[in-house]
Amino acid sequence: MKKRNGFQLFVLWMIGICIAACLSACLPIKISDVNLAEAEMKLYNEWLYTFKLKHFNFNNELITRPPGVEQYLFNLVLPSEGGINLKTHCVYYQVPYKNLSGIIKVIEQKNESECPEVSSLIPWFELKEISELQVKLENFKLILNFKYKNKKTNWSFVLPNINNGFVHQKYQSIKVKKLFPELTILRINEDSFDINFNKYLGKLSDRFSRGSSIRCQQVNKDCKTIGEYRCDSCAYGWYEVVDFSCPQGGSKFCGQNHCGEKNEPACPRGSKVVSSEELGICQSDLTSVYNSDHTLVCQ
Amino acid sequence: MKDFKRSKAILITLFICAVLMCAGWIIAQKWSISTLKPDQFVQDKEALSRLLENSSEIQRIWSEGEDSREWISLKKECLSYYQITETFDESLLRCNPMIFECLNRFNQKLNFRFVKPDLSDDQNQKIYRYLTKSNTSHIGLEHSGYLFTIEDKKNRKHLNLFLADQCHEVFLQNRTYAYGEEILEKKSSEETEDYRFDNFNQNIYIDQHLVMNSELNEWIDFGNPNFTEGLKKSDNKDYFLPATSLTYSQMENYCSFKGKQLMQAHIFDAATFLPMDLNDINPKNNNRSPYYWTKKKSEFKSDCSLIFAKECLQKKNFKINSTSPTWAGLTDSMGGPFEVFRNPIDPESNLKAASYYFNFKSPWHKLGFRASWDGEDFDLRHFDFKGINPEIIPQKFQVGFRCMREEK
Repeated sequence: MKKRNGFQLFVLWMIGICIAACLSACLPIKISDVNLAEAEMKLYNEWLYTFKLKHFNFNNELITRPPGVEQYLFNLVLPSEGGINLKTHCVYYQVPYKNLSGIIKVIEQKNESECPEVSSLIPWFELKEISELQVKLENFKLILNFKYKNKKTNWSFVLPNINNGFVHQKYQSIKVKKLFPELTILRINEDSFDINFNKYLGKLSDRFSRGSSIRCQQVNKDCKTIGEYRCDSCAYGWYEVVDFSCPQGGSKFCGQNHCGEKNEPACPRGSKVVSSEELGICQSDLTSVYNSDHTLVCQ
Repeated sequence: MKDFKRSKAILITLFICAVLMCAGWIIAQKWSISTLKPDQFVQDKEALSRLLENSSEIQRIWSEGEDSREWISLKKECLSYYQITETFDESLLRCNPMIFECLNRFNQKLNFRFVKPDLSDDQNQKIYRYLTKSNTSHIGLEHSGYLFTIEDKKNRKHLNLFLADQCHEVFLQNRTYAYGEEILEKKSSEETEDYRFDNFNQNIYIDQHLVMNSELNEWIDFGNPNFTEGLKKSDNKDYFLPATSLTYSQMENYCSFKGKQLMQAHIFDAATFLPMDLNDINPKNNNRSPYYWTKKKSEFKSDCSLIFAKECLQKKNFKINSTSPTWAGLTDSMGGPFEVFRNPIDPESNLKAASYYFNFKSPWHKLGFRASWDGEDFDLRHFDFKGINPEIIPQKFQVGFRCMREEK
């Protein structure tokens, strides 16, 4: 009886090994085991679409400290499949120390958000046996120089969607500071044209006078912007109202502009050539009055 | 004893199975990683690199337009294909998909090809989609524009390129302006001063030229059909003519589709009245001439390149950009078809009547002097010319429009 029990245990142990072998075959391949070209393309196929590179403060200096401890380097904000959402790639590096391997890690967060100082989730990307990492951004290229298994490696990721702001020049069209100024590389699939996923703000029928317009920027009496600036996300454009005569202009609403009309906001008239009573433009048979939100409205 | 032997056999079989599975898995992994994948990834990287180089070229052609060597070599075939026989201002080819349509059709030497959005066999199907924030769910669009998909001929890898069509806009300088005609005589106490305003806190971009038929076609093809119902697309030969058959609310909706607004009357005045001193952005007075080409109030010229008046139609057909640009860069600000604005000060004065419906001697040929249109239809009863009617009344007047927008 004793023999039989021992034998059964042994059989179970063997079955366990078989199951473990099967399961291990199903697990994703560890990037540290595969070749470098695949690792590079895995990053490139995602990072090509990067809209923003945040907290980036490197200029090719050798990252040697703190040894043996993982540190947060920077993050990239990029579109998800079909471009229907934003996601964040948080990039970490563990500097090698004695027996501890140097590791580059990327954690994927499913929205645009700040990265934790230390990676906590299962990495979306991990490359071990890294040393002598240097990072720089040069002419819209993110360049990573490092040694992989003591072999010098150079990765260069073109970031054509990074936008370093606009230039407004009289007589000219808008100039966007990008690698290819008028060009953006999109991440298109069928979902990109499914209007159910559309997150842009407002409808064509929205009107300030009906209370249906979405405020995309709110400026307070101290001329500070309250909350997020969202006017870039307006589906049908945006317009500005007159409220606190701030240098950056007034609050803004998404939608079709009917300023100057009855029960609609007054159009901005500027403040250099008119008195404080005449800051807004209304139709000649209407007068402008401040509403409860201190927005100048034509009545 | 029999049981023990049988168990031993099972045990050995299982052990061999486990060893074989482990060995097989390891070999499979090693083989697939070390032999097949590197080539594939190296090829992918090379293809991506080629596609990015091609993107750079595409962007160059997009911004160079008529000056690009590609247009110079394709022009004849392209115009013949589109059956465009009349000349037009070729600067309109900047930020225009026509060159790429022809490049795709007539240039076989490219190392990439344009992929049509749908898989249908329609030869006339466009090679692009027009994207705005209202017809796509792809986040991060800065403006409206054209989506092209290119494919690497060697590797078949794709790249989706979005090209913004903002190059026919002009920035309105931040300065002090005035609305309407200059008030020379004191009529009443309310009208003794000019209606002045400034845009120091606003970044305003204005369409250089009137909206064209080809642009309207994009709205009909890619806009919300609820708003374009009943609109007919124009023939290729009319691509570069102004769109003049929309009602006022359709014009507003078209501009909204593009994330813009219908041009406002006082902003049009700002972009057309020539400032007396371009260096003085905040003058004490906004003295202004009724003619956009001169500071002198009496320097009227009967010149078709300045005002495309009635007489000009006997010499040539009207085309977009027939007249010289104003100081801010707007074309066809006098003459041509009527142009409607949204006037937030005096909604009745919403129509630029300076047009080819009036001869050079007409008092309508002045900046800031406007007629009225109810925006509903195009026959005379929908217009108010303040008693200064055209000599010949057409069945339908043509009313053009342009859009403007603010930028952060």
